Amino acid sequence: MKTAMGLIMTNYSDGNFDSLIADRPIATLPFGGRYRMVDFPMSNMVNSRITTVGIITPYKYRSLMDHLGAGKEWMLNRKVGGMFFLPGSIYGVKNERHSKFLLRDILQNKAYLERGEGELVVVTGSNKIYNMDYREVCRIHEESGADVTLIYKPNNVGCEAPENYLTVDENGKVTAISADAGETANCFMDAFVINRELLLKFMSWYGALDYMDMLDIFEDSIDKVNIRAYAFEGYLGSVNGLKSFMRANQDLLDPEVRRELFLSDNPIKTKVQDSAPAKYLPSAEIKNSMISTGCTIGGSVENSILFRGANVAPGAVVKNCIIMQKCDIQEGAVLENCIVDKYVTISAGSKVIGNVDSPIAIGKRQNV
Amino acid sequence: MRKKECVAMLLAGGQGSRLGALTRKIAKPAVAFGGKYRIIDFSLSNCVNSNIDTVGVLTQYKPLVLNAYLGNGAAWDLDSSDGGLHVLQPYSTETGGRWYDGTADAIYRNVDFIDRYNPEYVVILSGDHIYKMDYDDMLRYHKENNAALTVSVIEVTMEEASRFGIMTVDENMRITKFTEKPKNPDSTLASMGIYIFTWKYLRAALFEDHYDPDSEHDFGKNIIPLLLSQDKPLYAYTFEGYWKDVGTIESYYDAQMALLEDELEFDIFEEKRRVFSNSNISPPHYFGDNAKVDRSLICNGCQILGTVKNSILSPDVYVGEDAVVEDSIILPGAVIEKGARVIKAIVGESTTICENACFCGGNENNKIALIGDNERYESA
Repeated sequence: MKTAMGLIMTNYSDGNFDSLIADRPIATLPFGGRYRMVDFPMSNMVNSRITTVGIITPYKYRSLMDHLGAGKEWMLNRKVGGMFFLPGSIYGVKNERHSKFLLRDILQNKAYLERGEGELVVVTGSNKIYNMDYREVCRIHEESGADVTLIYKPNNVGCEAPENYLTVDENGKVTAISADAGETANCFMDAFVINRELLLKFMSWYGALDYMDMLDIFEDSIDKVNIRAYAFEGYLGSVNGLKSFMRANQDLLDPEVRRELFLSDNPIKTKVQDSAPAKYLPSAEIKNSMISTGCTIGGSVENSILFRGANVAPGAVVKNCIIMQKCDIQEGAVLENCIVDKYVTISAGSKVIGNVDSPIAIGKRQNV
Repeated sequence: MRKKECVAMLLAGGQGSRLGALTRKIAKPAVAFGGKYRIIDFSLSNCVNSNIDTVGVLTQYKPLVLNAYLGNGAAWDLDSSDGGLHVLQPYSTETGGRWYDGTADAIYRNVDFIDRYNPEYVVILSGDHIYKMDYDDMLRYHKENNAALTVSVIEVTMEEASRFGIMTVDENMRITKFTEKPKNPDSTLASMGIYIFTWKYLRAALFEDHYDPDSEHDFGKNIIPLLLSQDKPLYAYTFEGYWKDVGTIESYYDAQMALLEDELEFDIFEEKRRVFSNSNISPPHYFGDNAKVDRSLICNGCQILGTVKNSILSPDVYVGEDAVVEDSIILPGAVIEKGARVIKAIVGESTTICENACFCGGNENNKIALIGDNERYESA
């Protein structure tokens, strides 16, 4: 089997995320109580035994560096291969084309691909939640003689825009890429396998057009190169805005989803923080929720995800919410359909009620 | 090897037989405590919080779980190229192999390890106490007194004194007499089993003790009396704070239940002088639609569908629907199946309490029900 190296794109922060991406890329959005979005592609890479992983960094990269460190939790602090930070371009932060695979970002880091020893490159974005072994895709990619294999989730309806969908013919070839779900709703999972030699060729052919996205290039050359599709059958959580972010988080309340992502033999890994156990007071009432270590809970929590060190005082009510690290929900406060960023204080008695279809985001370090 | 001022040697080879079923498969320092911790975490965290970066951990009794837990010491920031954590297991030599025969013998046989760092001082610790202590303060005291040995002591009551090694001191806290478990104690200063030695004195004493055929090679019984008889400067250092030997099932249970109180005698939650542990990567814990929780500590990876009251749940514990866990300590990976009742009990690691079973203590003498690791409990 051909060897593979990884490339994770994090230089984008498109979508309706309000204050959540004011000073961080989507890649480091806290997710699921103790994770960050980037944990998913990182873990999928190492769980697929890909041990050379390049990360195209976003403009605001502090949180990414902080979280990934030396790659220890993903066993990427290695002598052979390991984790490589690849500086992204400063124009990649936000763009009209919803670009994730900006050619310029890859071009700037050509050396990584030239020196790399993998024959295949697995390229992924950082706003999709799934647990997948890329070795299977790589095997099928190789067997089918494809130049590029795009990974998609069939019949994935109801995604928040922007999203890309594939038209796949009966032989498994991709014939079109579009923003329209169509009837099949073959949702592109922001992940593909490409032969390294071909990627380098694309880079020299399209070098002058570095504002293009790899997807544009695939579309442009759909008749010339063999672009195939691979259907993924597992769970996919798509995060393109507040609503889908909330939905993907609440999907974790389903035991099957949790098992697939976190309790399999190849679970998603994250930076270990080592907080004390969560403490529940006699007045605590918890229903269908996920709660992290370091929390102190005295109030009522329902259908919610609480991150490390959050405090819900007696008499407070938290319903359909995501409460991030070290938030303080004081006595009698009521929160519904809210996404509360890190270190926020909701003072006693205050009420913030969002809508199921448009949750309210409360920015970092605010006092409400 | 670069010289270190101070090296710690952590005695972690004991069985802790009074913990019964809990130490049938693992060494006492590896027994889970307070949810996510293991007993050895407290001593190891004290080391790193006291700026000691070289720790030899002496293991002997069933060390597999302990060794796996320690790993390369990274969880305590002890994965260092210069010092760090070393697991020191008994080894064979050209004259054959032997087990560690007493606490002093264990150190004696690792003299070469200590010599490699050429330290001025050696801290001797045991891996089975729950406390937070700054060994650096004690070391400063040791240096000020120009002592050969400083023994950390804690004030106990006259009644308790006969269960401890008791130090009699003069007005300068210099030790004049040491009595192991005295019937009629003349002091209430109990040894905590924490020693700081000036290495050259300890080294000499270890060799002398090794060739004494009548010695039991024990710090309390042999090394301290030997140094006293040689009129070496031995001092007692009074520790004021929480210190618990969780050597029995009752003390192990009580010390953990105390963590559920509003007013904490021992605060594992405070962020200064943190207690570090080798955490897992399990997801946050989950409560189902009908779950109930009241005054409890719960760790990552737990799934709670039933009722948990006044209990401590270690990582990855499962509590099924209509199951009740009350006044209990559930160790990592245990499964409490649907409808089961666990009351006033300690349930070992990866043990299953089967559907509708009742594993309950508390009736006569308010006894604690105990089941070890990897067991199945089926009867009603």
